[in-house]
Amino acid sequence: MPLLTRHIHPGWLIIAPLLVLVVTLYLGPILNILWLSVTDPEPGLGNYAQLGESDALIRIIWTTVRICIITTVFSVVLGYSIAYAMVHCHQRQKNYMLTLLLVAFWISILVRTFSWLMLLGRRGLVNVALEDIGLIVEPIAFMRNELGVLIGMVHYMIPYAVLPLLVSMQSLDTRVMDASRNLGASGVQTFWRIYLPMTTPGLVASTLLVFILSLGFYVTPAILGGGKVLMVAEYISVQLLVTLQWGTAAMLAALMLFGVLAMLWMMSRFMKLSTVFGGSTR
Amino acid sequence: MLGRQFMKETLQDSAHAYKEGRMDRRTFLALCGASGVAMSAVMAGDAQAAADHVVMWNWGGQSEECHGSAIGDPFTEATGMGLRFDTSGPLEGKIKEMVDSGNVTADVADADLFNAVSLGVTGHLEPIDYSVVSKDKTLPGFALEHGVSVILYGYAFVYDTEAFGDNPPQNWADFFDTEKFPGMRSLYKWANGSLEAALMADGVPGDALYPLDMDRALAKIKSIKDDSLYWGSGSEAHSMVVNGEVSLGMVWQNRGRNIENDTDGRFKLVNNQAMAMPGAYIVPKGNPAGAAAMQFIATAQEVSAQLSLLDCLGMTPSNPEAFDQIPEDQQPYAITSAMNIDKIVYNDPVWWGENGGAAVNAFLDAIS
Amino acid sequence: MIAGFLDISEGDIELDGQTIANVPAEKRNFGMVFQGYALFPHMSVRDNIGYALSVRKRPAAEIKARVDEMLELVRLQKFADRKPGQLSGGQQQRVALARALCFAPPVLLLDEPLGALDKKLRVEVQEQLKDIHHRIGTTFIYVTHDQEEALSMSDRIVIMHDGAIEQVGTPNELYERPVNQFTASFLGKSNFVQQNGKICALRPEKIDLRVGSGHKDARLSGTVRSITYFGSMQRVIVDAANGTEIEVDIDVWRNRETLTQGDVVDLLWTDEAAVELKTA
Repeated sequence: MPLLTRHIHPGWLIIAPLLVLVVTLYLGPILNILWLSVTDPEPGLGNYAQLGESDALIRIIWTTVRICIITTVFSVVLGYSIAYAMVHCHQRQKNYMLTLLLVAFWISILVRTFSWLMLLGRRGLVNVALEDIGLIVEPIAFMRNELGVLIGMVHYMIPYAVLPLLVSMQSLDTRVMDASRNLGASGVQTFWRIYLPMTTPGLVASTLLVFILSLGFYVTPAILGGGKVLMVAEYISVQLLVTLQWGTAAMLAALMLFGVLAMLWMMSRFMKLSTVFGGSTR
Repeated sequence: MLGRQFMKETLQDSAHAYKEGRMDRRTFLALCGASGVAMSAVMAGDAQAAADHVVMWNWGGQSEECHGSAIGDPFTEATGMGLRFDTSGPLEGKIKEMVDSGNVTADVADADLFNAVSLGVTGHLEPIDYSVVSKDKTLPGFALEHGVSVILYGYAFVYDTEAFGDNPPQNWADFFDTEKFPGMRSLYKWANGSLEAALMADGVPGDALYPLDMDRALAKIKSIKDDSLYWGSGSEAHSMVVNGEVSLGMVWQNRGRNIENDTDGRFKLVNNQAMAMPGAYIVPKGNPAGAAAMQFIATAQEVSAQLSLLDCLGMTPSNPEAFDQIPEDQQPYAITSAMNIDKIVYNDPVWWGENGGAAVNAFLDAIS
Repeated sequence: MIAGFLDISEGDIELDGQTIANVPAEKRNFGMVFQGYALFPHMSVRDNIGYALSVRKRPAAEIKARVDEMLELVRLQKFADRKPGQLSGGQQQRVALARALCFAPPVLLLDEPLGALDKKLRVEVQEQLKDIHHRIGTTFIYVTHDQEEALSMSDRIVIMHDGAIEQVGTPNELYERPVNQFTASFLGKSNFVQQNGKICALRPEKIDLRVGSGHKDARLSGTVRSITYFGSMQRVIVDAANGTEIEVDIDVWRNRETLTQGDVVDLLWTDEAAVELKTA
């Protein structure tokens, strides 16, 4: 025992039960998925070999990545403007905006998805109004296609994009911006050379959060895509529940997991991840 | 996973043996210990096996109420056993997962007959006991080893009478003809029905569909891809039509009446070439209520239950005895009613059970 | 306001006879050292210092030369490539100074520049600041709440109170001849005494304290209420017979008499020691 405590800090003993619980409940299923991906339907790398053989899988993965990238770009750019406005307006307006943001955050994804159908569908409010005032003859196809999926996803993701940015902007020392102005920089110069670089950790956090969450999107593409926009998450669910190709599903899940880990690893080479996730910059 | 299932069964057998005095306590405890199971857990599981109720695994919504009144009530009357529900939807993958995990909590699943084929082969289902369940109370070919069709539903289509009132579409060929009938149309996303409709549209006779010529079907599907939307659930199919997103919509035929009502008759159901789908009751392997599940299925086959399901859920009877008794106002929406039965085609559950997975993936690939 | 971050509500700000009240911050050409320095944390020391020239789109070679000059001025040549977070407080302060001076502003504002430093370091940096000031000759406007710092650092002090100027002058003028009670008590300690019917300011160190009573020329007598030891001197608070309270600073080395609480003392001072105040 003394030998043991010399090497292991006694504090570990206190958190050991929790640690065991987390490892079992968290790592267990992940290992199970990895195991399944190399054993079902038969042992080997057959499931992974599908990636080289099946154009369909590659296309689904590419669709997913493309939609996630576009969603991330729009969500983060819009989120940045919203966070910026929130930080720089009066406290009352800021509270008002935060409330609206959180309300959007709390509304179920199904409700939000169907609201878009009501608003932008073929006979939705917008199309009907535009037709009535004679601006268009044929309804504009906002929904049930990739555009619809993007609109729905960006809308859903904006609060996720705003929150890390808001935290990052609020913790900025505004005197630094004053200093820049004092040294002769214009507002635009100050933004690009000082403000943007200083909010980069928030920007990266927001980008990672939105991109990773987007990868798992299922409901929105299924409904707003009109069945023609097939993303990995929905495909995994079909393989699990309908076609019973659990090996393929596990392989895709593992692929997503490794993709996200690889992304974090690449990011960690450029910056300290702890600063991205709220740690100190020092 | 099969190992776990085996262990559970062994333990339950042992529990019986122990209770009946065929196994001494020490041996039983040793068995429990070896498999890491507390004795009480096995005994509790065993107590559940002798349950006084049957658990039906269905899709929730109205079906809970309808299954209760149509099947549950007469079943309780006859056997004294109650009926409970699991409304999480018995998708094939969920049934497989439940059986593989060794924790089977449902007795009868409201599934498709092709599920009985695919899950039957892999050993996830109890065989149907045809000494209790009747093969005559369903259509020929729909009483299979691991499942029996209790109701029928079908794939038909509705069309916009304002757009095509003078010269309405008559069949799947018209449905796929975007020149004669311009506008968006909707199809089922998980291939079933959509593939058959495409083949019929391409000139394959309804009684010569199987085995499906996948290449031909997918080519036809792709030919109208730009004019198509795809739905994944009945309510989605419904809303696509009611919200005016499509002019022609493939729908589950039992939804036809609601669609006609909700659009004030603007959309009309066409049953010609509608494809009858055998909805089946199947029993997960190792179900808790054991043989009582068969009794329950037999109750569902009775004419009165069949008509009650039609009235309540819009599901068409599969028991031929009930066909003549379909009330007149239900006839247009019942796929096997006298006015429809000569126009329809039948799904082949065996082909789908054996080829469904690959067909769904090929279809998804074609439409995405 | 001088730097242009706040609008002025009344009056005007002039530089060399020209009003600058409506000139935006970035066009005023005022150098400024901020409280807490406000260095750019993501830039190297070199980029921080060269920022003002770089936003003015000066050629790279010129910027480099000027930054090198500044680095030498503040003696930070070795730290040019570090980030501000890797420097000590005093070094950061010097970077802030170099950054503000780099574009050769006619006036440099220092807003409590040493507030974040500990006492010892502060004195050190004060010396460096004075040295730099003498070498470049730019006007420094130095805002501080530390009177000692104000006295030791400046050529000219403006004392402000509630937005109005109370007095302007050299440190010596302000300390020796305050015009009102605010200035007198703001810079150093002051006792206020009546002399020839007028209120006068009397510095504690200009009072002589004698133990006992009945001394010739004694202006006031009283009893010692408290004695505080400061090392170089001790501060004695005397309850004077006329009901006022007088502070006296005594040079410990030259007054070795032991003084205890409750001692009766006489207070003496010369006429010149008490400065007549022009206003209350």
